[in-house]
Amino acid sequence: MPATAKAPEFEIEIRNHLFEPSEIIVPANTKIKLIVYNRDSTPEEFESYELNREKVIMGGRKAVIFIGPLQPGEYPFFGEFNPKTALGTITAR
Amino acid sequence: MLLTSVIIILREFLEAALIISVLLALGENLSTSRRWVRRGIGIGLAGAVAYAASTATVSDWFDGVGQEIVNALIQIVIFACLTLIAVLVNKRGDRTDGCERSIMLLMSASIGLAITREGSEILIYLSGFVSNWELFAPILLGGMIGAGIGTSVGALAYYVLISTNRSWSPLISTAVIILVAAGMGSQAVSLLIQADWLPSQLPLWDTSGWISEGSVTGQLLYALVGYEATPSSLQVAAHLAGVLLPVVLIILFRQYSNADS
Repeated sequence: MPATAKAPEFEIEIRNHLFEPSEIIVPANTKIKLIVYNRDSTPEEFESYELNREKVIMGGRKAVIFIGPLQPGEYPFFGEFNPKTALGTITAR
Repeated sequence: MLLTSVIIILREFLEAALIISVLLALGENLSTSRRWVRRGIGIGLAGAVAYAASTATVSDWFDGVGQEIVNALIQIVIFACLTLIAVLVNKRGDRTDGCERSIMLLMSASIGLAITREGSEILIYLSGFVSNWELFAPILLGGMIGAGIGTSVGALAYYVLISTNRSWSPLISTAVIILVAAGMGSQAVSLLIQADWLPSQLPLWDTSGWISEGSVTGQLLYALVGYEATPSSLQVAAHLAGVLLPVVLIILFRQYSNADS
């Protein structure tokens, strides 16, 4: 198994179909563990074409998503079920 | 809201609709009835309801990556079924009843699993709005439009496949099946990377400048062959292996049955 424990962790919340925080900065060229808490009662789908990630998060639940290693740059993500409001960016530095 | 639901339902519908139409086209060359389509859709609808209802539980499995693992497993089984179908359909000589039955079973299974996976996402999406009729009505309407477009594209693919030259049709259908299967394989690898069960790597290339994954072409290619603009070397390798494996198996089987007769 890969060294899961070593991946630095970052947390985001979904509240009223918004990501909080909507911008996070992560180290470049490093695999990270993103934990998304869905505080809404409705389901959401974390999605990013740039990160090649897609995951359903049921209402009141959390999701673990491994991301990267990323080259320095900006990687937008969105909530597919509420794409107008649920928007965010991961910046790799 | 309406446009969002059109896009979401269309995306999920496309993948399942394309698999069904390619298998239907391939089934034209078999002497069997089309009972397997209805059976596959029935299994798929039941599976979608069951999977959607248990997604919250499944997500917590394997330290929070259960969804990825189960989805990857579904994709791998579809890949295996489609590969076997490609091999059996292209076997030389007369097909026995047993062989035709196996093909039908594999076709039902592929359709059932594809609908389980895509259908459950549609149900989960819709479930978020049922309690709010003002939102639910436009979403349902958008969903129906999306489903209509998805089904039409599937029907179009079917008619294109069966209207090609009779002697070319099985070959083209087989090629499409292999590409779809390989796409499933590489999506499974992608999910296992997301779950950290397979090592993650920097992307091998970036074609998002040519075809963005969010564009219509990108979405179509994703549904058909699992297109990704920034694949890692592992995904590319899985894709190539997914194309080569059925091709090698088909050639081996044909030679084997040649030597036999």
